[in-house]
Amino acid sequence: MTCDAVRKLIPLYYYGELTPEDEDQTEAHVHECSACARHLERARTLAAALDRRTMEPPASLLADCRADLAAAVRGAAAEPARRPWRMWLDAAGATFAAFTRWRQPLGAVALIGVGFFAARLVPAGRGVATASLAPSEGVFVNVRSAQPDSAGKVRIAYDETTRREVSGTIDNPEVQKLLLAAAHEEDDPGVRVESVDLLKDRAGSGEVRDALLNALLHDSNPGVRLKALEGLKPLAAETPVRGALTQALQFDDNDAVRMQAVDLLTMRRDDAMVGMLQRLVQKEDNGYVRSKCEKALKEMNASIGTF
Amino acid sequence: MQEAAGTAGARVSPDVDSLVRAAQRGDQEAFEQLVRAYDQSVLRLAMNLLRSPEDARDVYQEAFLRVYRNLHAFRFDCSFHTWLYRIVTNICLDQLRKRKVRKEESAVVETGEGTIDRTDGFEEESAAANPERATWNRQLGRRIDAALEDLTPRERMVFELRHYQGLRLRNIGEILGTTEEAAKNCLFRATQKMRTLLGDLR
Repeated sequence: MTCDAVRKLIPLYYYGELTPEDEDQTEAHVHECSACARHLERARTLAAALDRRTMEPPASLLADCRADLAAAVRGAAAEPARRPWRMWLDAAGATFAAFTRWRQPLGAVALIGVGFFAARLVPAGRGVATASLAPSEGVFVNVRSAQPDSAGKVRIAYDETTRREVSGTIDNPEVQKLLLAAAHEEDDPGVRVESVDLLKDRAGSGEVRDALLNALLHDSNPGVRLKALEGLKPLAAETPVRGALTQALQFDDNDAVRMQAVDLLTMRRDDAMVGMLQRLVQKEDNGYVRSKCEKALKEMNASIGTF
Repeated sequence: MQEAAGTAGARVSPDVDSLVRAAQRGDQEAFEQLVRAYDQSVLRLAMNLLRSPEDARDVYQEAFLRVYRNLHAFRFDCSFHTWLYRIVTNICLDQLRKRKVRKEESAVVETGEGTIDRTDGFEEESAAANPERATWNRQLGRRIDAALEDLTPRERMVFELRHYQGLRLRNIGEILGTTEEAAKNCLFRATQKMRTLLGDLR
């Protein structure tokens, strides 16, 4: 190896990131060549100097961070929001997998697949016709495994989901339960948007409110979060709602969500928000949100910067 | 601990996987345990990259809330550590890029208790024994900070993950969504730049 080639390898050699062959060759070369040995020495000195400028976060900072996070997660009210439909689903003997076929809660008509079971087709005697075991119409099948067995037959395990239809007004408790479950359904954002949209006018009910809070804080789709915000608008004075709005305003990565959140939060004067608004003025990229924060701070006679 | 946790995107331990699964089912305690298993190294990374406790605190909060919000979508395609670090490094890179634009750097770090000179650590050790050396160390500290700030955000990140967090380059590539080779080149450029900027260190 040439000196030039070895010097290119020295940083990787120092970090133990060379292949064994390159490492051997580098070592052998450095052993023979004093100029390259000095190069390696300099790399070590630089690394040692860099080691000494590492910053260990103080324990108090870690404790503060953990407290912030715990408050944010508690504010998310995830637990109460999730429970009702989980319990109902368990009672119905369904799993969330069953919901993947659910497509249309529109107009409070819901199609839902309930019932989940794995069937093992083990032909017991001869002449068991496959056709008779084939799922009937309206049943969705999800094959989990297909394996030949020693007797020259095929063994198939599949999940079967059936579709049912229910219809009722939005105030029907069963319909609401289905919509609550659908608002949480994770695969199809379209279903979640429709369900949250239907629910949003019923935010007076604690269960619906919790579902909207949950959607606002946890749904990965901004469309769903915006619908949830619409539903929460009449409740913007309530403490848990304000907590969730504050979280959304600070941490949501979608500009429209933050713009809505700042509007709802600044509808009324709230001196407890001063610190949060001051921090936001510093770091918020969106001009509208920033100007709303500044305006709210001015109205509270608070300074715009932090000290 | 981070070395073990970060090794080449391997399964960290069955414990972490089962914690993730429990947290995905809505178990708050499991989520908290998961946070506590990783949050010190996350905070150290943010603090060292951004040199500001306030910014590190923001990164911490944003990163773990994103984890909380998106954990249901984690499918074990990589280790949880890698997935978490993808989130954290993305947030930190954004911050570094914004700073590069604003160029609002200073040699002094703000803390709740006041300000600390970044180079205090250099001085402490030998100040009493050798004041000349102490001055030189302080200057060296400033030069090192300046050199680190001169790196591109990506070079800075690769260097931080390799030098200070002790992650392997293959894992770093995986975290940053690039190849091991690209991470290697990045590390090489970073060390070259620093050697050039810092010259010979005595």
